[in-house]
Amino acid sequence: MTVRRIEVRERVMERNDALAGDVRRRLGEHDVVALNLVSSPGAGKTLLLERTLRDLGTEVRMAVVTGDVQTQNDADRLARWTDRVVHAVVTGGACHLDARQVGAALDDLDLDTIDLLFVENVGNLVCPASWDVGESAKVVVFSVTEGEDKPLKYPKMFQVAKFAVLNKVDLLPHVPFDVDKALEYAHRVNPDLRFVQTSASTGEGLDDWYGLLRSLVNAGALVR
Amino acid sequence: MHELSLAMEICRIAEAHVGPEGLPWLLEVGVEVGVDGSVEPDSLEFCLEALLSRPPFGRARPVLDARVGGELRVTYLEIDDDRPTH
Repeated sequence: MTVRRIEVRERVMERNDALAGDVRRRLGEHDVVALNLVSSPGAGKTLLLERTLRDLGTEVRMAVVTGDVQTQNDADRLARWTDRVVHAVVTGGACHLDARQVGAALDDLDLDTIDLLFVENVGNLVCPASWDVGESAKVVVFSVTEGEDKPLKYPKMFQVAKFAVLNKVDLLPHVPFDVDKALEYAHRVNPDLRFVQTSASTGEGLDDWYGLLRSLVNAGALVR
Repeated sequence: MHELSLAMEICRIAEAHVGPEGLPWLLEVGVEVGVDGSVEPDSLEFCLEALLSRPPFGRARPVLDARVGGELRVTYLEIDDDRPTH
């Protein structure tokens, strides 16, 4: 047997990152800001987006790409609040969206009619942290029904995010969640992380969230 | 599932280097795993073993090397060059 060694030295994420670059270039050419919403399952991403589409829909031109392991339930929920395209990606078992999937979803969108694109990623605080989908910024959503030490348990996600939404704050009187500790832990792993505290159910804090979105859209530039 | 996605991408990189006709003749796939990269080496090795032991692969085995940092790379491929040629 003659064994030959082939030197490779190729990053495993190289192709995804190249495709993410293509997505980012396409979005940039049309001045579309893209936010990649990541969270554990049940943190409230979909309800937050429903409220956002309802309340900002006449002011900001938004579209959504949703990712779910199975079903397009989230896309169906969101489609009730907007006439714009809600594109569902059913990953069929994969635990994250990748740049190829988001790039394919862009083919269904008229980017000239969109200011703000949300990518609602698969509920998972591990894998989506490693996959660049061409977004302007990642937004990590976590809720007061989770432990305040989530940022310490899943540091990479909080490190790669630019913004954090602490959701379900209406439940604070009923759960043993220490907001100050959560903020301290998050800023320990990412001192620049910008926080918004919301309740998508009651509307508390949503004005701050909308203010953040307006500022990003008005900046009109990639923030990543 | 995360590691399975990465393992499938590693297999794609291997195919890009040796072509589909070379896959059954691969012997080793060298992978460098950064310990800060949120990749569980044991899980990745398990997924690679599962993929590399079935067609279009045949007898390749993964050789993982833990390194400082967060990068995940395919470092080398070893192939049996005594395979029949057309």
